[in-house]
Amino acid sequence: MTARPKLFRWQAIVPLSLLLLLLAVGAWLFLDTIVERGIEDSATFLVGAQVDLASADVRIGDGSVTLRGLQVTNPDAPMTNLVQADEIVVNIRMEPLLERKLHVDTVGIRGVRFGTPRETSGALENPPAGAGRIRREIDAWADRMRIPPLSLEGLGQAINVDAVDPDSLRTVAQAQLARAQADSMRESWTARLVALDPRPRIDSAGALVERLQAADPARLGVTGVTQLAADARGTLQDVQRLQAQITSLDSAARNGLAVVTAQLDAVADAQAADVRYALGTLRLPSLEGPQLSPAIFGDAALDWIQPVLYWIRLAEEYLPPGLDPRRYAGPKRTRASGTTVVFPDRDAAPRLVLGHADADLAIGGEGVAAGSYRARVTGLSSAPALYGRPMTLEVGRGDAVRGPRDVRAFAMLDHVSTPIRDSLDVVVSGFALPSLELDALGARLLLGEGTTALRLRRAGDRIEARWSWRTPAASWEPLQGAPPTAEGAAIGSRAWAEALLWDAVSGIRDVGIEVRIGGTIQQPSLGVSSNVGDAVARSLQRVVGREVERAEREVRERVNALVQAEVDRAEVAVAALQTTVADRIGAPLAELGDVQALIENEIRRLTGRLPGGLRIPGDR
Amino acid sequence: MFTILKIVQSLVKALNSEATPNQVAAGFVLGAALGLTPLVSLHNLIVVAAIALFRVTVPGAILGWLVTIPLGFLLDPVFDAVGRALLIDADGLTPLWTTVTNTPVLSLANLNNTIVLGSLLTWAAVGLPLFVIARVGILQYRRHVYPRIATWRVFRVLKASKAYNVYRMFRP
Repeated sequence: MTARPKLFRWQAIVPLSLLLLLLAVGAWLFLDTIVERGIEDSATFLVGAQVDLASADVRIGDGSVTLRGLQVTNPDAPMTNLVQADEIVVNIRMEPLLERKLHVDTVGIRGVRFGTPRETSGALENPPAGAGRIRREIDAWADRMRIPPLSLEGLGQAINVDAVDPDSLRTVAQAQLARAQADSMRESWTARLVALDPRPRIDSAGALVERLQAADPARLGVTGVTQLAADARGTLQDVQRLQAQITSLDSAARNGLAVVTAQLDAVADAQAADVRYALGTLRLPSLEGPQLSPAIFGDAALDWIQPVLYWIRLAEEYLPPGLDPRRYAGPKRTRASGTTVVFPDRDAAPRLVLGHADADLAIGGEGVAAGSYRARVTGLSSAPALYGRPMTLEVGRGDAVRGPRDVRAFAMLDHVSTPIRDSLDVVVSGFALPSLELDALGARLLLGEGTTALRLRRAGDRIEARWSWRTPAASWEPLQGAPPTAEGAAIGSRAWAEALLWDAVSGIRDVGIEVRIGGTIQQPSLGVSSNVGDAVARSLQRVVGREVERAEREVRERVNALVQAEVDRAEVAVAALQTTVADRIGAPLAELGDVQALIENEIRRLTGRLPGGLRIPGDR
Repeated sequence: MFTILKIVQSLVKALNSEATPNQVAAGFVLGAALGLTPLVSLHNLIVVAAIALFRVTVPGAILGWLVTIPLGFLLDPVFDAVGRALLIDADGLTPLWTTVTNTPVLSLANLNNTIVLGSLLTWAAVGLPLFVIARVGILQYRRHVYPRIATWRVFRVLKASKAYNVYRMFRP
């Protein structure tokens, strides 16, 4: 009999303990590096560009982490940092770490600067799947936005209306469709009406009415009246059946007529659309300020608004409402990362809580926002529904001499429940607004000192924002060389166009630009208005208004000439259909109604005069 | 070079030692956990402790680990699918995962990651069949292969080297 082997290897306890101790010491020694790498990797994934941290100093005994030399690359400009911070001191609670949760009591940030240059490129060679997704989506939205062009060149040339391609016009097809449908319906209903053949039965019923009217109950007697009434009721039932059949046909015909009439309305819409399309192919400039402002400031507005949308989307992604499980890319490792699912617990604390953070921000350089600021964040949480309070961000001006005179910014992100509600109000005044290169005008707009104000509201999927820039001290300079002149330039030439626009805007000192966002957060609409656009419109109307009107008139006439014959045919077909419905269906229906009433009256008259008040079977 | 030689020697000796096939197979199965699941995971600390504390053969565990490392990489898509099915698609299990991922220490096990959960559960599911297969394999090896290679010179050199003493410390 063999001895049963022992289950435990007791002598391994000491080596195992030593191994665990070694691991603990190793983790202790490399904790700073582990935290540093963890922050770099997570933030790099989040931003979609390199995030560097010079060092991390973790003091478990004090519950503090000090991060130094944070550099976050701007994904759109890899040689520039989006933000740089000299030192970030974080005071954390140790107990939640056992649940992989980070609860931060306070954060102090020192030496924050934006837009600083990098020594090396921060672009990622192989960005991880999903990294920078929000930025890519916003870039794609911006690419899809159609900024209307402003081109005055070619205005003086003869308009080649023959270039309008008849095949590209929708009106003809729409009219043909309406006509075909009207003809088809008319033939179908006529055939059904012929099949019903109501005329003989109407005539027969008419003859019966005459017989009934001529009948005298006293002479016919009870038997005669009974017989005549029975005949009348038989005919009446036949009339009612026929009436029901024609009523059904009439109902179908009227519904069909409504469809065809709507198609005829669509023909009119298509005709208007074709005119607009044909005008568009000629690239005639709009003479209305509301259309010109987007052409002038659209690109700048897109540049301004993209970061706002990015941060709003990012806040939604990482501070989601509700307690549904959330999915994130798994940790970076040699093997596949997989997906990490976070399951918020109604009775537990969120994964990340930042109670309070104060930051001294310094925006360096000579840029428009250069200066020092103070920022305060409260109630930042990865699960606002558990935390129960909205996050707030407050930014004010610091003590430095440089920078704007007045800075007031307040944001509240209420993601405690759905629909999420974000609000942002920013007013910055008394600082040098940026200069804008306006390719559409061939000019650079130096906005000078002024005020900018942003007001944003988000409720659920809907967003509404208004961002205004105002200055009383704008100046202009040409993008290239000396100010253009129209001397000797032909109307419609490039030199003429540049001179016209320069004359229109170069005297404007008081400039106001307003950018509006509306619609959904995924696909917001963009609107731009400015007194500069209005000034350009007035100038255009004065100088080229007649030229544009002439061109528009010629195009409209050309389009109408191409489509009018088919439109007329469609209208005739629909009119014929209306006549068919009214005459061939409506008329017999009306006759049947009259005959039915007459028969019923005569039956009542005959049966009401029977001697002795006798009632005959079937009489009510 | 010495380390590799030592490992090879350990493996050979494990397969031919006096250790029972059960002990070698159990070591193999535990080692497979290290290879099939992401190595730096809390559960693997427990697996390493089990290999050391229970009388399974350490070289057997190393063999299981080495054999299953490439399998782990290859099967990651399968593990991901299993993890997704349990973590994302199975709504009924949400309360369980909520408890697991919000329990101190247990939450450090990363069981809310599709690869970790999928690979761990796959390993648990194939553990018993793997044990049986390993056990049969070792028996067959000792019966048919070992008598042949025992006569090889290189085998005798390996067995006689000093590293054998290290192996003996852990030999069951």
